Amino acid sequence: MSDRSAVEVGSPIPPLQVTVDPEKMKVMAALLSDPTPIHFDTRALAALGMDERPVNQGPLNMGYLQTMLARWAGGRDRVLDFRVRFLGNVLAGDVVRAHGVVTEVSDGDRGRVATCDIALDVVGGAVALSGTAEVLLDEAPAVPSTRDQELT
Amino acid sequence: MSEHDASARRHADDYSDRVGREFPGGSYTITPWRTWLVADTLLDDPWDETPHPVLAWMAGVAGMGMTWDDLFAWFDAGPEDGPMFGEHRTTLHLPLRRGATYDVTGRIVSAERKVGRRAGAFDVVGYELDLHLAGEHVARCYNSIVFPRRDA
Repeated sequence: MSDRSAVEVGSPIPPLQVTVDPEKMKVMAALLSDPTPIHFDTRALAALGMDERPVNQGPLNMGYLQTMLARWAGGRDRVLDFRVRFLGNVLAGDVVRAHGVVTEVSDGDRGRVATCDIALDVVGGAVALSGTAEVLLDEAPAVPSTRDQELT
Repeated sequence: MSEHDASARRHADDYSDRVGREFPGGSYTITPWRTWLVADTLLDDPWDETPHPVLAWMAGVAGMGMTWDDLFAWFDAGPEDGPMFGEHRTTLHLPLRRGATYDVTGRIVSAERKVGRRAGAFDVVGYELDLHLAGEHVARCYNSIVFPRRDA
């Protein structure tokens, strides 16, 4: 976890790089009850005239970016808003790099929030996802309840 | 004709009458084993007990009360047509909780025919899913699916 108090516009988010494992796609297909064969069936891919490497699921690609944000912000519960556009496929064996930069820091009801531009690139290839996210840097101080105030 | 015989299936020119159609809805429990496996498929820490944010969308689609095949069939498509993710947004109003059972509601919010210079005709269908816990709105996920219409 990085020093969140120093976060400002232009601060980079520590990138996350992973190698896409086709065995994880099979588990995710089962978790999602997703029948789409391009995620696990190499014969189906060949029949479609596609590269025989399985295509990574969209939720896994999103998840890499969310993991990067959560590690940086200090917890998985700190991702408040996440918005991406899917621009290209990620294939089994690809190395992908999640990265981002802070574009705004603001104070709201929930605390100090960073708005970020984010993207997932295939290393040596194209951008697979790009978008924006809001993450909680510091929670707002708890407001004492009426009863607490009465007792003090 | 098989239900998913893409070559024999005919597509309508306009699916806008599906907009507003509600999913049956249901519920989804973020069980410890799901929390563990989802983190593991993402190459993240499976022993972190805080649910990964991607589980918001997974809870939504698993609890929407119909299968992917059912949803694709509303638009005269099947998994062999190669439906793809278009855009995604998750907004978390409250943190996800491991072990919690969420009520899920959802609906189709858009359906638009487009024609790309290279991609040809395709339909972009938007849907949103809401998670509720004990009457509180926890999260909303928006997603669009791109259905290629090679015969349109």
